[in-house]
Amino acid sequence: MSTPKPNVQINEDYEKLYGFHVPEHAVFKAEPGLDEGKVRQLSGMKGEPAWMLDLRLRGFHHYRRKPMPQWANTELLNSIKFDDIYYYLKPTEKKSESWEEVPAEIKETFDRLGIPEAERKFLAGVSAQFESEAIYHSMREDLQKQGVIFLDMDTGLKEQPELVKRYFGTVIPPADNKFAALNTATWSGGSFIYVPKGVKVEMPLQAYFRINAKNMGQFERTLIIADEGAEVTYIEGCFTKGALVTTNPDYKPIEQIKVGERVLTHAGQYRHVYRTQERPYSGPLYTVEMYGDSTQRLEVTAEHPFLYVKRERANERNRHWDVQWGTPKDLKWRDYLAVPVNRITESVSSTKVTVPFRRQSETVELPSTAGFFRLVGYFLAEGSTDPRGYIHFAFGETERELIEDVKSLLRQTLGVTKADEFPHPKNHGINLVVSSAKLARAFRQLFGESAGTRRIPQWMMLETPEKQRELIVGVFRGDGNYYNQRNKHGRKEIFRITTVSPVLARQVRDVLLRLGVVACLNRRDRRHEHRQAMYTIGVGGEFASRFGELVGIQVRSSLNGKKRAAMFAIDERYAYVPIKRITKRLVKNTPVYNFSVEGDESYVAGGVAVHNCTAPSYSSDSLHSAVVELIALPHAKLRYVTIQNWSKNVYNLVTKRAIAHEGATVEWLDCNMGSRLTMKFPGVYLMGRGARGEVLSVAFASDGQHQDAGAKMIHAAPDTSSVITSKSISKGTGRTSYRGLVKVYPGAVNAKSTVRCDALLLNPESRSDTYPTMEIDEKRVQIGHEATVSKIGDEQLFYAMSRGLKEQEAMSMIVNGFIEPFVKALPLEYAVEMNRLVQLEMEGAVG
Amino acid sequence: MTKESDMDRPLLAVEDLHVAVEGKEILRGLDLSVSAGELHALMGPNGSGKSTLSFCLMGHPKYEITAGRIRYRQEDLATLSPDERSRRGIFLAFQYPTAIPGVTIANFLRAALRGVRGGDVPVKEFRQTVKPHLKALGIPDAFMNRYVNDGFSGGEKKRLEILQMAVLSPLLAVLDETDSGLDIDALKTVAAGINALRSPQRGILVITHYQRLLNYVKPDAVHVMMDGRIVRSGGSELALELESKGYEGFRPSGASVGVGS
Repeated sequence: MSTPKPNVQINEDYEKLYGFHVPEHAVFKAEPGLDEGKVRQLSGMKGEPAWMLDLRLRGFHHYRRKPMPQWANTELLNSIKFDDIYYYLKPTEKKSESWEEVPAEIKETFDRLGIPEAERKFLAGVSAQFESEAIYHSMREDLQKQGVIFLDMDTGLKEQPELVKRYFGTVIPPADNKFAALNTATWSGGSFIYVPKGVKVEMPLQAYFRINAKNMGQFERTLIIADEGAEVTYIEGCFTKGALVTTNPDYKPIEQIKVGERVLTHAGQYRHVYRTQERPYSGPLYTVEMYGDSTQRLEVTAEHPFLYVKRERANERNRHWDVQWGTPKDLKWRDYLAVPVNRITESVSSTKVTVPFRRQSETVELPSTAGFFRLVGYFLAEGSTDPRGYIHFAFGETERELIEDVKSLLRQTLGVTKADEFPHPKNHGINLVVSSAKLARAFRQLFGESAGTRRIPQWMMLETPEKQRELIVGVFRGDGNYYNQRNKHGRKEIFRITTVSPVLARQVRDVLLRLGVVACLNRRDRRHEHRQAMYTIGVGGEFASRFGELVGIQVRSSLNGKKRAAMFAIDERYAYVPIKRITKRLVKNTPVYNFSVEGDESYVAGGVAVHNCTAPSYSSDSLHSAVVELIALPHAKLRYVTIQNWSKNVYNLVTKRAIAHEGATVEWLDCNMGSRLTMKFPGVYLMGRGARGEVLSVAFASDGQHQDAGAKMIHAAPDTSSVITSKSISKGTGRTSYRGLVKVYPGAVNAKSTVRCDALLLNPESRSDTYPTMEIDEKRVQIGHEATVSKIGDEQLFYAMSRGLKEQEAMSMIVNGFIEPFVKALPLEYAVEMNRLVQLEMEGAVG
Repeated sequence: MTKESDMDRPLLAVEDLHVAVEGKEILRGLDLSVSAGELHALMGPNGSGKSTLSFCLMGHPKYEITAGRIRYRQEDLATLSPDERSRRGIFLAFQYPTAIPGVTIANFLRAALRGVRGGDVPVKEFRQTVKPHLKALGIPDAFMNRYVNDGFSGGEKKRLEILQMAVLSPLLAVLDETDSGLDIDALKTVAAGINALRSPQRGILVITHYQRLLNYVKPDAVHVMMDGRIVRSGGSELALELESKGYEGFRPSGASVGVGS
């Protein structure tokens, strides 16, 4: 069987054409493949002490000798091409103490990753792993004063040789397993942490890891020592947050953007998203507000590029529109942001909609004619559908002309000859009713179920300006007004269209851009009136003339004796809107979102063009084989949190283990969502009386993924206790395995262990296996094991759906409930993100 | 928009309904009509098909309509999924509500309300909506943070069903043996919940096999169901007759015997 394809969609020539990664500028890049000479070379280059070289060589020896594991997923394991992997890539010559010293290229990447200088002030510590080595690193001063050491592993080895020598490889020796041996031979980077006696670090220490080069192995090595009575939490992960992105055809919060979706780019094209990124960000966050759209505020990191135009004169509109990319720092008040205008035209003669009808589905064909567009305009403004099979148009008594227009359009475009009028004497209205279940369902499907969800379907958004003009005419006649009055400031003249649908409001504004009109968008909150917010699209100034032409109302070319003017401008490519306000605030661990877009590497967020932030992308597989050793000295508390969301072509083969001495507690919170194959079994050796170990893990395997995860608890002292809770979810062809070991040595009296593993299967082809092992050599113990495998319950699903939840939503809710014990244990912002990630993974779970 | 003529038509019209579960026919030509403003009681022995009818009304995928149809507000329900039915105003209070561990009642009910209303329900508005119902049903606020039906007593489960019914405010409420296994106080609370829902716009179908609940909830019509069809319909006096005669007295002569399980 061929190996599953990574779900990243990349053009064949991607790298050459659009590669956004920093040109590889490694000072040293080992030849692919591994031999003893390379291990020696690596150690020599790093200037390591002899004992470390010795350890590396032992690791290499064991790596060569040990066979590939013949369990878990041998097929995937055997597909790893070890000889093609670059084992070491040293990105820069010397590690930097301060941000300024970091070489520009790498800084660029890291800025994009969002690890700026300012972070020092907020984060307890950050160590960023770029390819093999940690290159930038910072820690809060007060922690430093208390003697907390947080260094990258290489620096740790140099600055704290005794500590490192004493503990390195003591929990996971070179001979432990093939991958730990490989890591011992080739390790680079990772974190070294020492928390002195009695020091309690309240804030989680954290690190980012990231694989940049293709076929690059990432072999980081982490060693954490919590001295007597010390407490520390360490979080490793990759996380994410966002703005409305102009997708095709809707607008979505950025965090909901998925690979494969099409978004509008700065070049006014809809292109595919080939990768999404999410991460926590600490540092300044800029809020940019613009004139003309009060509904959007863009929040971006310091380095996020915008497409903009510098203002030429303070009190006059620009005459030249030279666009450039600039970061928020470059932007000034009243500079112009560029709003790309979608110029794609795809004209069709008709469209087909499939609707349920009398227990089957039927196809309804609708014409794509100018007349139909006007009819749709009327419907968007005044229409509604009734599930019983009626389409209503609500008009005022006096709008006879409109009623006749709708009737004739119905006849011409849809062949509907019968539309009944029902007067509404109380509100002076007339209801025009078309009785057709098929049409009502088609309209419902195309244009949204209710006033608040009205929308223009994608194909109509791309139609010709001639047809779209008719749509605007219909909407305007239905929901618009022309304000033309004199007040104390002179005459005021403005065209307005109102709607309660946020999507429709934005779409109308975008269609108007195609028609050469820049409109303002405003939102009025009517919560105090217990009503939906109202959106107003307003057109004034010089654009009123153009709009007037569109809808057939003549307006004068001057106003109050002056030529009509506007603060906005529009040309072939962009509309230009001035910046109203830029504010800056400092944030800590806030999720930020970004994604990569084919070709243009940009997208439209909050209506304006922004460049994609970070996107080295390679199609070939990567190997991540880390080793993490934790040492909790007597009465220390150590918690290690991992949220692993590697891209789905990474082999994640990681060895993680801890030693807990007398009265100490070690907790592993381990969540695996990404990677193609993960094999990870965090363990705790309970070596002293009263030591406690806990593993709480969640694994989520989607199509083609295999999460083989579990835990190991070794009870080697009396009164020790352990808890293993494993929750796994398999979706599509995803596969999860629980593999666990509980071992109790003779003499470990009163040892207690509870193992609980629950698996949830979402689809018939999903798979889950459980491989629990118990080796109990002591009689006076309490051991409990419980395992459940459940299909997502038909009865649960039916119950939730009977309460109005859609199938997808019901499933997500059941899954979120399932992993609730894990999520509850996370810091709040991670918990929120975790739910969001699950939501994303759950999309498409139905059907 | 409701046209006046709708008032005369029944809210729910079940016509010659035949339903099979895994190939076995359970309902065999059931007719039932409930108009807005009415409360009907459906009584019958175990195994007569009462719960099958209730699941079928809600659209459980396991129940297959082999003949006949169900019309709700003139619309044939056959192609509609349970959530679409719910959003059109149908509610089923389950006899055995399902637990959803890890999901709080607050989250669940808010999602349900969002679904039924077809738009977001801000937290504050949600609280204001739920609060009076909690009070009326004597449910403490902390209840909202418990997981849906997870580790609930029988009485708690039934109370939660009534709470959901009250909050979602359906047009057609079907209560499947909501009275079973309740002590007298809980029964009164449930009855009060049902009575509070009665209104000229709503139809209510109470499924029960004891007359007990009908002491507190006055039906406009009582139907006796046996072997998958309705064998007799009448006023509230029918329930009393049933109490004295037992179900056997209602079995149509010549009908097959041996269904009760």
